[in-house]
Amino acid sequence: MSDQEQAKAQEEFLVPLETYRKAGVFLGTHICTKYMEQFVYKIRPDGLYILDIRKIDERLRIASKFLSNYNPEKIAVVAVRQYGQKPVKMMCERVGCNPITGRVIPGIFTNPKLEWYMEPDIVLVTDPRAEAQAIKEAFKVGIPIVALTDTDNRIENIDLIIPVNNKGRKSLALVYWILAREILRNRGIIGPDQDLDVTWEDFIVRPVRK
Amino acid sequence: MSVGQPSQISLYDTVETPVCTSCGRIIHPGDRATSFVCPNCGKIVIWRCARCRSLGVKYKCPVCGFEGP
Repeated sequence: MSDQEQAKAQEEFLVPLETYRKAGVFLGTHICTKYMEQFVYKIRPDGLYILDIRKIDERLRIASKFLSNYNPEKIAVVAVRQYGQKPVKMMCERVGCNPITGRVIPGIFTNPKLEWYMEPDIVLVTDPRAEAQAIKEAFKVGIPIVALTDTDNRIENIDLIIPVNNKGRKSLALVYWILAREILRNRGIIGPDQDLDVTWEDFIVRPVRK
Repeated sequence: MSVGQPSQISLYDTVETPVCTSCGRIIHPGDRATSFVCPNCGKIVIWRCARCRSLGVKYKCPVCGFEGP
């Protein structure tokens, strides 16, 4: 690829290619499901599947446009994993959606008697395997589900997938930062060239050292 | 006064029933189906029946050609 082509490709991306590489968004796993094969760019000699950054970028764009159609108070974002909890909370603070972090309490979408019962219009999940309870309940009620999926995830009951590395803390931070920024841009709250008040690195979960 | 025959109006002529975008089957009320506007163009409502959702069957937007999930 010539320098001009590379520069043009970088302009098309939501964030520079280097940032995607730094966050490891494209890193898959050693397992690949049938449906996720279409998003795989190559297989490394050690057997690790690598996702296509162009497709990741395209899907992030589509998903942010899709989510910005909904009232932010009616969007539920679920993160059971430790590395997803901080990015989800920070995204929800800025966008105004409802975070569900930690354990998903059964009946949260289906049992109106519960005090934490909610009726979202759309659910965004971080890992379909970890958040199986949320997906099951959203499926039961008929709520559309958007999910961040890695190469090893199954896509049952999901309506829109975003193929990314959903295990890394940097990757999750970057993905949620991009989603937050794009939703705010699409809704006209920030300008089309404006960024969030924080950088994507502020979304990263810092490990506690003892 | 003779009573005329009741007009035979099909249910499908009176009520516009949603149809699954993936498989083309009619979605009955009470089914665990979902609907959402096309994530790419937002011009058309996509319906997915419970079966297609649980099997992960692909859907295609008739307007923009976007393929999901």
